[in-house]
Amino acid sequence: LKERDLAEKRITIRATRFDPEKDKAPRMQSYDIPFTDDAMVVLDALNYIKSHVDGSLSYRWSCRMGICGSCGMTVNGTPKLSCSAFLRDYWPRSVTVTPLNNFPIVRDLVVDMEDFMEKLKSIKPWIIRKEELPLGAGEHRQTMDQIDDFRQFSQCINLGPAAIALARRYNLDSRDQGTKERLPMLAHPDGIWECSFVGECSVVCPKGVDPAKAIQQTKLDTTMRFVLPYGNRE
Amino acid sequence: MSADVEAAPPTATRTYRPAMGRGWWTRKSHYFWYMVREFTALPLALWLLWLLFEIQRAGRGASGYYPPSSTPFVIFSVICLLFALYHSFTFLSLAGVILHFKVLDRPVASRLIVLSQFGGWLAASVVIGAVLIGFGR
Repeated sequence: LKERDLAEKRITIRATRFDPEKDKAPRMQSYDIPFTDDAMVVLDALNYIKSHVDGSLSYRWSCRMGICGSCGMTVNGTPKLSCSAFLRDYWPRSVTVTPLNNFPIVRDLVVDMEDFMEKLKSIKPWIIRKEELPLGAGEHRQTMDQIDDFRQFSQCINLGPAAIALARRYNLDSRDQGTKERLPMLAHPDGIWECSFVGECSVVCPKGVDPAKAIQQTKLDTTMRFVLPYGNRE
Repeated sequence: MSADVEAAPPTATRTYRPAMGRGWWTRKSHYFWYMVREFTALPLALWLLWLLFEIQRAGRGASGYYPPSSTPFVIFSVICLLFALYHSFTFLSLAGVILHFKVLDRPVASRLIVLSQFGGWLAASVVIGAVLIGFGR
């Protein structure tokens, strides 16, 4: 967009509002704000609204560079990191910002992540060793192929089925010996078997991760361990 | 702060739990085609039930078996064939996502896995077709 056009541009942001002390259900509120910079992202628009229009609008954000995942929201029906969703991709249409789907709404665009955090903790997202090597033994060396096995899943952040993708990341890590500890939690009825393989999580992932792949491969892993003789050997 | 002062217990915040509407699968084309993929199994199941019924009739003797020749049944079979092809295509295409194994300590490429699945499908179809044509003569 040209500079002259940008000076006159405006964009409509529709955001979910929910005050747990007043509202029975969420409602939508529209804000007409200046679209002054071609590099503006949805998070910039929300920050503008909070600073200049309505200070009561609540949402989470932190790093502003697509790393932390705090600003995950649904933008025009698609889960996005609002810090990397450019307004220019939507203008002149209005932008509808709603909380992430399937999470309880705490206030406005803030969702309750407690259930996710519990699941994340339960899959033990760290390298588990049966016996730690002494420091003098040197580092755990890995080939490029071994790193490629889990590299994409290590990009996963708190959006979508991240806990399972991260579990897969550690299960595939040649340094890790904790697969057997993680599988009971992954194979729990609320875990991998809840996934019916729509595949949308992989389509919309802002980090290029393929969580659907992680889930399906884990399904196969748990099944083979159950079916094959000595399937649970380590 | 005095050690006697106790921290107030955290108050429970009321949250709103959005319900997923029955029409969720109409929101996006990706969801819609997922439902089509799953739905195609239903007519196939009905067609296979009919086949089992016919096999049972054939067990009573040749006179009990008569392949239906009505136009509606032929149309239903053609639709089922299209559904079967679509279901097989999506299933085999996803094999590259699901299967993960190594040969000589190197991962097998997803594309190779998918191609081998389609190759196996083609080979099985040729063999079954040849057997059916051979018996038909």
